[in-house]
Amino acid sequence: MATAGLTAFAPSQSGGVTVTMIRMLTLAGLLAAYQAISSSGLVFTGAMPSLWAIGSALLRQLADAGFYAHLGITAYEAGAGILIGGSVGLLCGIALGVSRLLAAVLDPWVRALAPAPKIVFLPILMVVFGIDAGPKIAMAAISAFFPVAVATFGGMRGVSPILIRVVRSFDASLLQLVRLVYLPSIVVPVLGSLRLATGVALIGALLAEVKMSNRGLGYLIIQDYNAFRTAEMYALLISVFTLALAVNAALRAFGRRYGAV
Amino acid sequence: MANDLEIRGVSKRYGDPPGGLLAISDISLNVQKGEFVSIIGPSGCGKSTLFGIIGGLVPDYDGEVRVGGQRHVGTHKDIGIVFQEESTLPWRTVLTNVALPLEIQGVSRAEREERARHYIELVGLAGFENSRPVELSGGMRQRTAIARTLAFQPKVLLMDEPFGALDEQTRLLLGDRVLAIHKELKQTTLLITHNITEAVQLSDRVVVMSYRPGRVLRILDIDLPRPRSSDSVTDERFGRYVAAIWGDLRAEASRGMKEAEALRGTGRRAG
Ligand SMILES: Nc1ncnc2c1ncn2[C@@H]1O[C@H](COP(=O)(O)OP(=O)(O)OP(=O)(O)O)[C@@H](O)[C@H]1O
Ligand SMILES: [Mg+2]
Repeated sequence: MATAGLTAFAPSQSGGVTVTMIRMLTLAGLLAAYQAISSSGLVFTGAMPSLWAIGSALLRQLADAGFYAHLGITAYEAGAGILIGGSVGLLCGIALGVSRLLAAVLDPWVRALAPAPKIVFLPILMVVFGIDAGPKIAMAAISAFFPVAVATFGGMRGVSPILIRVVRSFDASLLQLVRLVYLPSIVVPVLGSLRLATGVALIGALLAEVKMSNRGLGYLIIQDYNAFRTAEMYALLISVFTLALAVNAALRAFGRRYGAV
Repeated sequence: MANDLEIRGVSKRYGDPPGGLLAISDISLNVQKGEFVSIIGPSGCGKSTLFGIIGGLVPDYDGEVRVGGQRHVGTHKDIGIVFQEESTLPWRTVLTNVALPLEIQGVSRAEREERARHYIELVGLAGFENSRPVELSGGMRQRTAIARTLAFQPKVLLMDEPFGALDEQTRLLLGDRVLAIHKELKQTTLLITHNITEAVQLSDRVVVMSYRPGRVLRILDIDLPRPRSSDSVTDERFGRYVAAIWGDLRAEASRGMKEAEALRGTGRRAG
């Protein structure tokens, strides 16, 4: 093939199949190892239930309407959190990118808070928002805010100065400048950060549910934990992983339309 | 005739007075309505800086710039700039790039696309309306940028080395096109160029600038019959103009080179 040299480093058709096969084999190997240890009796079966136990727990869970109600609650809390935290983060990142003064004032704060574990806010949030969905949404929002704000600000800084000059030279207002140059330039980094935000927002919501709740996947997980239903707990964890992966894949597919990889 | 553009004693210093860099010093120039003036000078003499000042993109300068008798602060619809750098918006097509200034002015989609098509045709890009910049050659992207600024319909058109990256032949042909456009639109035009032939071929007057700080060394009237084309190059007066400009520039260019070498010698870096 004439283009072989160019595609050598990209996952080609056959390369993709090979990679997928290796991934499947790795997964199968890990599962087999897990099962081997589990059935060897070396580890307490309460901590490592057999794959069959987890599998049947998963099937029972998926057949249970109550599970979907809890799933819906968690998805709602995390989703609302992403929406709120993401939009506020986007706006803050844009404002910081446009105003040098604002950036100079706020940048150290964002930098200091971004890597901090957001769980420390939970007691305050519970005091402020009560015990229903409020503190969970707030936890998710705070978690989602930082990655989006930081990525947006970074993206704004990376916008080509010449494009800014061009659009300014056509006598554009600041708002037009944002809409015509900044926003299209930051689509890719912002979508990337949203993927990250989804993960941490989900963690935020689950943590809040684990701490204090009577609804949601986090509540179910902690219930199963307290009752020592390990297989059920693992089944729930698998559902959570799958949920996060699905959202991640959807955002990634969307980002590809704007040239992201 | 009325002056479309008046530049009076304009100086610009980058950085703070004791140190800093005096980019241009005391530049004065009047350009009449419909006139075509070229600016030529060694690299780094402040030509782009001067355009930035005229276009309201460079703050904090000394002196005064008037357009149509008015002093403006900031950018203005009477001034359109074609930038030296690659400046097409990569996520837009040729059509939406060229329609951009009209979009900013709030012109309806149908009308702005119709007007954009006119200027696309004028620069010879008909058929490429839906191409994206990555699919075009450098010269085609530069023509897109020219069409875009023309669509802005400024009173004064500033072109900063629009053909800088092109080969000599394409340059001459595009020069012909610029002349044809100038004849049709009769826009007051300032063109920055490094190319002496191009400056003489296109202009009513040529402004020769000195090396840093940029000053006006000489303003030369080009008394050649119009309409001109790339064929004018063979006129024997043409050669005399080119020789005169080259004489001025050679001294400046070698001064610039020496200064750059001296800076290297002391271990400091220019620019
Ligand atoms: N934003 C800036 N900050 C500091 N110095 C600058 C800035 N812009 C330009 N300069 C300096 O001012 C001088 C003039 O730059 P300018 O770009 O106007 O030159 P030019 O004549 O357009 O050069 P060229 O022909 O290479 O495009 C240069 O020495 C440059 O380093
Ligand atoms: Mg320049």
